[in-house]
Amino acid sequence: MVKKIILLGVVCSIVLGADEPKNIYEKNCIPCHRYTPASLDKLFMIYLKTYSGELSVKGAIKAFLKNPTEKDSLMNNTFIKNFSVKNKTALTDEELEEAIDIYWELYDVRKKLK
Amino acid sequence: MLVSKNRGTSLLRSSEKSSLLRFLALYFILVTMILSLLGIFYYQSQEKLMFSNQRVILSEYANQQVQALKHLHNNFPNHVTTYPRSDKYRSAIYDIEAKKIFSLLKYGDSEDIRFDKEIYRVGNTLHFLKTLDDYYLGTKYLFIEVDEDKTWYKETMSSILAFGTLTLIVLIIFGLFFVSIFLRPMRNSIMLLDNFIKDTTHELNTPISAILANVEMMDISSMSEKNKKRLSRINIAAKTVSHLYQDLTYLTLSHNRESKDEWIDMKKLIEDRVEYFAILASAKRITFKLDLKESAIFIDGVKIARVLDNLISNAIKYNKRNGKIYITLRKNYLQIKDTGIGIKSKKVQDIFERYTRFNTSEGGFGIGLNIVKSIIDEYKLQISVESVVDVGTTIRIDFTKGTLDG
Repeated sequence: MVKKIILLGVVCSIVLGADEPKNIYEKNCIPCHRYTPASLDKLFMIYLKTYSGELSVKGAIKAFLKNPTEKDSLMNNTFIKNFSVKNKTALTDEELEEAIDIYWELYDVRKKLK
Repeated sequence: MLVSKNRGTSLLRSSEKSSLLRFLALYFILVTMILSLLGIFYYQSQEKLMFSNQRVILSEYANQQVQALKHLHNNFPNHVTTYPRSDKYRSAIYDIEAKKIFSLLKYGDSEDIRFDKEIYRVGNTLHFLKTLDDYYLGTKYLFIEVDEDKTWYKETMSSILAFGTLTLIVLIIFGLFFVSIFLRPMRNSIMLLDNFIKDTTHELNTPISAILANVEMMDISSMSEKNKKRLSRINIAAKTVSHLYQDLTYLTLSHNRESKDEWIDMKKLIEDRVEYFAILASAKRITFKLDLKESAIFIDGVKIARVLDNLISNAIKYNKRNGKIYITLRKNYLQIKDTGIGIKSKKVQDIFERYTRFNTSEGGFGIGLNIVKSIIDEYKLQISVESVVDVGTTIRIDFTKGTLDG
């Protein structure tokens, strides 16, 4: 019985621990993108294809998140018609930059190419 | 005629020879520079042609790589993460900020990469740069690298060397031809003078010999003092002409004969020649001071006699009245010093030039010291001249080991 209780406790802590957001990126980005067709990895490649360099990509993402417009969106018209343009971010500049840095580090092609 | 023609050609003054050599050197340098410039232009044109040909090939490789990058981008990172490679070329990708994304280049260091040139050479490779409009994987700059095919270089250098050498030879032949045309008037004037001297010499021989023989045979015991003086003057005049005749004969005829080298007793020879010139010296009240030690050298008798005669004759000719001539002979050198008018230091180096005279007030053709120098050079002896104006001239001949006895 004691063993069962301990095992249940471990499983619960793993499940709850896995779902618990660890950083500002996971807390503010993943929850929404998890439910849209615009997955973060595909979105990263779209930004990369459009802006190329790290500074350019980060700058473009930051500018868009602070003031999202249909004109600046990289998504196609069908997507925008169905899901509309996202709302303005509520994060401060520092928080936004931190989240974008984490995003860049996560999908940076230099680390994945072999 | 053949003899005099050869002599006319070979007896260019050293100053004329140096002018000729300077002209040829200048001509050679100019021709070489022009040919080098042409070679450089040809090389550059061939290099441009090679780059042009390579650009087409490398551009095709770049397009292939762009297609492969596009495919990778669309499947990245879930399906494929392997950078596209090829056997024909190596490549590298850089982002818009000129930061390396991935590189397989042999010469991929920052100093080897150039973003301002479409095609360039690094080490033994060629780099081709393609700028992308769609930044697949963030790629703004795609570099394609191939090992350089050096065939064009070898072919170009062979062509430059072959045509350059051939053209240089042809132009040098032209140069020599032009020089011979330019020198013809100078040679003709020298030949004319040589021919004149040669023809005149022939006509001098018989009368001089007759005068000298008859002067020697005359019985002076029965002569009055006045007639003795007259006879002495005739003797001096005849010997002066005879000396000139000897020089001219040597210059035009004897110089071409084969040398008959033998051991010459220099002390005895000097005493003979001093005795021969004694009557000429006495006319100017010049006295000889001899300090002779035994010495013998291996040389042609006629030639060493010409050397001595000319040096003694000059010492008399350019001496002052009541002057002295000091002749010193040692085992390895001969020195003749006069108390004459001397030579200006800047003219000392010219005294061995043919037809150069110390001073125009004295007679002669200016060929004596030229003969001396030619004989000195032939036997590789060493001659040095020291002269002070109004004090005198000292000429020293050092005998070299090959001519010395023992």
